[in-house]
Amino acid sequence: MQATRMAPSVGRLLRRLGAASSRPSVLLGQPPLGPARRPYASGAAQAVLEKSDSLSPEASTRENQAKVESKSFAVGMFKGQLTTDQVFPYPSVLNEEQTQFLKELVGPVSRFFEEVNDAAKNDMMEKVEETTMQGLKELGAFGLQVPSELGGVGLCNTQYARLVEIVGTHDLGVGITLGAHQSIGFKGILLFGTKAQKEKYLPKLASGETIAAFCLTEPSSGSDAASIRTSAVPSPCGKYYTLNGSKIWISNGGLADVFTVFAKTPVTDAATGAVKEKITAFVVERGFGGVTHGPPEKKMGIKASNTAEVYFDGVRVPTENVLGEVGGGFKVAMHILNNGRFGMAAALAGTMRGIIAKAVDHATNRTQFGDKIHNFGLIQEKLARMAMLQYVTESMAYMVSANMDQGATDFQIEAAISKIFGSEAAWKVTDECIQIMGGMGFMKEPGVERVLRDLRIFRIFEGTNDILRLFVALQGCMDKGKELSGLGNALKNPFGNAGLLLGEAGKQLRRRAGLGSGLSLSGLVHPELNRSGELTVQALEQFASVVEAKLIKHKKGIVNEQLVLQRLADSAIDLYAMVVVLSRASRSLSEGHSTAQHEKMLCDSWCIEAAARVRESMSALQSDPQQQELFRNFKSISKALVERGGMVTSNPLGF
Amino acid sequence: MRQLKPREDKALSRSHTASWELGRNSNPRQSVSPKEPRILTASLRAAVPLQAPRGLHCSAAATAAGSSDSWLAPPPPEPQKEPTKALAFHEELFQRAPEGTRDKADFVRAVQNFGQHNVHKRGHVDFIYLALRKMREFGVERDLAVYNLLLDVFPKEVFRPRSIFQKMFIHYPRQQECGVAVLEQMENHGVMPNKETEFLLLQIFGRKSYPMLKFVRMKLWFSRFKNINPFPVPRDLPQDPVDLAKLGLRHMEPNLNATVTIYQMPSSTDTTGAADPAEPHIVGIQTPDQQAALAHHNPARPVFVEGPFSLWLRNKCVYYHILRADLLPPEEREVEEIPEEWNLYYPMQLHLDYGRSGWDDYEFDIDKVEEGPVFAICMAGAHDQATLAKWIQGLQETNPALAQIPVVFRLAGSTGELLAPSSGLEEPSPPPPEVQEEEEDDQQRQHQGQS
Repeated sequence: MQATRMAPSVGRLLRRLGAASSRPSVLLGQPPLGPARRPYASGAAQAVLEKSDSLSPEASTRENQAKVESKSFAVGMFKGQLTTDQVFPYPSVLNEEQTQFLKELVGPVSRFFEEVNDAAKNDMMEKVEETTMQGLKELGAFGLQVPSELGGVGLCNTQYARLVEIVGTHDLGVGITLGAHQSIGFKGILLFGTKAQKEKYLPKLASGETIAAFCLTEPSSGSDAASIRTSAVPSPCGKYYTLNGSKIWISNGGLADVFTVFAKTPVTDAATGAVKEKITAFVVERGFGGVTHGPPEKKMGIKASNTAEVYFDGVRVPTENVLGEVGGGFKVAMHILNNGRFGMAAALAGTMRGIIAKAVDHATNRTQFGDKIHNFGLIQEKLARMAMLQYVTESMAYMVSANMDQGATDFQIEAAISKIFGSEAAWKVTDECIQIMGGMGFMKEPGVERVLRDLRIFRIFEGTNDILRLFVALQGCMDKGKELSGLGNALKNPFGNAGLLLGEAGKQLRRRAGLGSGLSLSGLVHPELNRSGELTVQALEQFASVVEAKLIKHKKGIVNEQLVLQRLADSAIDLYAMVVVLSRASRSLSEGHSTAQHEKMLCDSWCIEAAARVRESMSALQSDPQQQELFRNFKSISKALVERGGMVTSNPLGF
Repeated sequence: MRQLKPREDKALSRSHTASWELGRNSNPRQSVSPKEPRILTASLRAAVPLQAPRGLHCSAAATAAGSSDSWLAPPPPEPQKEPTKALAFHEELFQRAPEGTRDKADFVRAVQNFGQHNVHKRGHVDFIYLALRKMREFGVERDLAVYNLLLDVFPKEVFRPRSIFQKMFIHYPRQQECGVAVLEQMENHGVMPNKETEFLLLQIFGRKSYPMLKFVRMKLWFSRFKNINPFPVPRDLPQDPVDLAKLGLRHMEPNLNATVTIYQMPSSTDTTGAADPAEPHIVGIQTPDQQAALAHHNPARPVFVEGPFSLWLRNKCVYYHILRADLLPPEEREVEEIPEEWNLYYPMQLHLDYGRSGWDDYEFDIDKVEEGPVFAICMAGAHDQATLAKWIQGLQETNPALAQIPVVFRLAGSTGELLAPSSGLEEPSPPPPEVQEEEEDDQQRQHQGQS
């Protein structure tokens, strides 16, 4: 109780600090979206900031260049290039003031979660406790990225990530409630809202007076946007839309007052005059009438968060509540999702931190055969791997958030990688923690089983990891394909493009001759990490040559080669992870951090294993005839299972 | 006598092409041209071109390649004229065997008789040329042992060059040509020489000789090109016209999902097929894709039965007909588009435009050659409209949409002329008529070429 009383004062403190810090963060921003270059990767970045006029001319030219050639490491990776601008050195975007502000925030927020919030109780009640909700609202946790003039805390992505990490360490259920509210719930208003919409909704949303929800999923539509059934029909007078339909599995669906809803609207094509059904995003208030919700769903994990069906029955949505353009809802949805992913990795890095602490605690206190179990090799390996996974996830999360803060527009692949990697790493770490704890881990009391249940959803929602893997691979291939066609254009005018052509020819020759592409990370990585750097470059070269070979082999049909794509994505993830840890460990070594040598070990171990994985999977993909057989077998086995409606084989006993 | 010679020549010349010309033309829309395989073999052929190509075979490429080879050894004197004088004597050796039952043993006996009668092996070159021509009659043209036996007829050690000058200039050219001719016939029948052949050649001509060179080349290329034909045709074709048709259809449509349907069996198998023209066989093939395409065909547009087109299976020519439609005009084509805004998480299609080199021809792309769809293929014993109408009727059972679509028969040439040779094909032909049949085939080819 004492703690709850403390909270309001902290909240006020946050607001005040938030107001003070708003200006520098504005300078870091970038103008709202330009015309989308690529549908899936046109960067919305964090359009938390709308003051585009404050940008210096240099900044805008820099951005123009960025549009010409992507600075993203992941994009370059697929082309066999080392695009190190974004990854080396490990970016630190916070200025003195922002760092100071963040430090002042971290303490109270951690204390709040340690002293006020009770994750186990939330889980049991299947509801976030009222005192916690109240405390979070007063802390300002519901409007972390809302600009301070609209009543939020005005954090940049990196600052946001740091706070989300604390939330993730303690209670993922609360994390989902907060995330569904601000990471996706009203992110649309932040990114695409008009001034009027922002002024109308954001202050209340930031204070937590109203809660937001993101309504995209329908019974018939998961990632298939074309099968959305909810419809919004414009009224004859043109003043409002009538919204009908139902959405399922909506986080905060039972609590929210403001919904970002995606519905199909008839759009007339200006050129042909044909009417097409296109998706449009709306901001819908519960107060419009006709919005109802079902009972809270019973779930495996994140029980504290509210998930419910939401029904829209003849809801009249005024025209001014259209988010973005009419018919532009697809883009809106994609940007919201792309922008929210980095937060997940940060939260999961926090979760792992907490879980590892528990595992280590158990390993140091448990005695078997007269020895502490942390002295046993198997436990040591488990702990080491857990540490590596946490280190990688954390490095990724802050790398991506920093890139976004730097105004990068091409962070989508990296963001997707961080989500995939984070959710899987967290699952493995928690699983191993339970293993280390043995029977104790299986019990409710230590609270690890709750984390495992909570974690499961992270591999599923906001794009399942499988689908995001396809995204990673295809998005990368798309850029590679562009490069190939660019080369073709250059060939049409060989004399005008002699440099490009000679460069490419040289690259090909070197690759054929097995000399490598002359890429190197030396000079960028700390000399002590040179060996890992070499491993990374080798893996990258092999990866790029396989990507090229596969693209040339399958051409456009690569889209349907999901098994190939998945393997490419896995290697891309490993590669990005290697570079990220190399960058972070290099920074620690050169700045002489106290943990530098430990980080070097983490980095080296990771690179050794990851490089071996990439090597193995790429050479199998490239030249292993058994791989083809394997793929065919998978297809046939699954086909047989589908035909039989289950296992094909009977019991070995024969009955 | 006179009659026989040209036929034999043809038999030889045919056998060049036989092993190559099959299966390559698996696309039914491509009319079968014997020129291409000819080019392939021409490059393979070493040394002695047996005779000038004739008729359809008279392609520029073939002759050019043939003449470029001739530096190795001057062409043999016209095989028709030269041996005629000597032939009268040796011919007897082969004719001693009773007619009709000529087999390997007879051939071997004939060769051995030559050795016995001719201790000095006088006229052995003429004898070997003759024996080479006779091999098909005895059915030993693919027997390695027989070739070795023939080579053994040459006297040993006599023709081996002994001095450097003999090595520089062709030593005993006529004998060497003859040796090359033996090897060439082996090549034409796909017979791989063995160690014994090598030993014999060494003994006869020595290491530095043209037959030896030919031998080494055969050793090299035979192993390289063993699997060059991805669609091999069985060496012994089925005699039954229905089986032959099935084989031909499977060859043209390698899709394993395709179903072969026998719409009509020949009325009786014991009598020759041509005897009962009312009930010729009709065998058709159709893939599920073709069925689907036909089902979606706009009934307002007619489909065409076209043919006959020829397909060569080794030395047999079969004729097929296709059911096809014209290409839709561009305005009627439905483009299946993948909507761009379909998948929320990843692109469902990639826009990849691969770079091609600046020297490429951008206009022509074999993938983009547009022609109408082919819905089904059939082979029938007769090429008249009545027979083909039965095929269309049979097709309607599996393709109900066909009942609504007008079918236009566009049969090339006069059916009567094309019917005659194919009726000869259906006869299960004993060896002597086979020669005749081939001649008819040849006539057909010329018809095709002229038409």
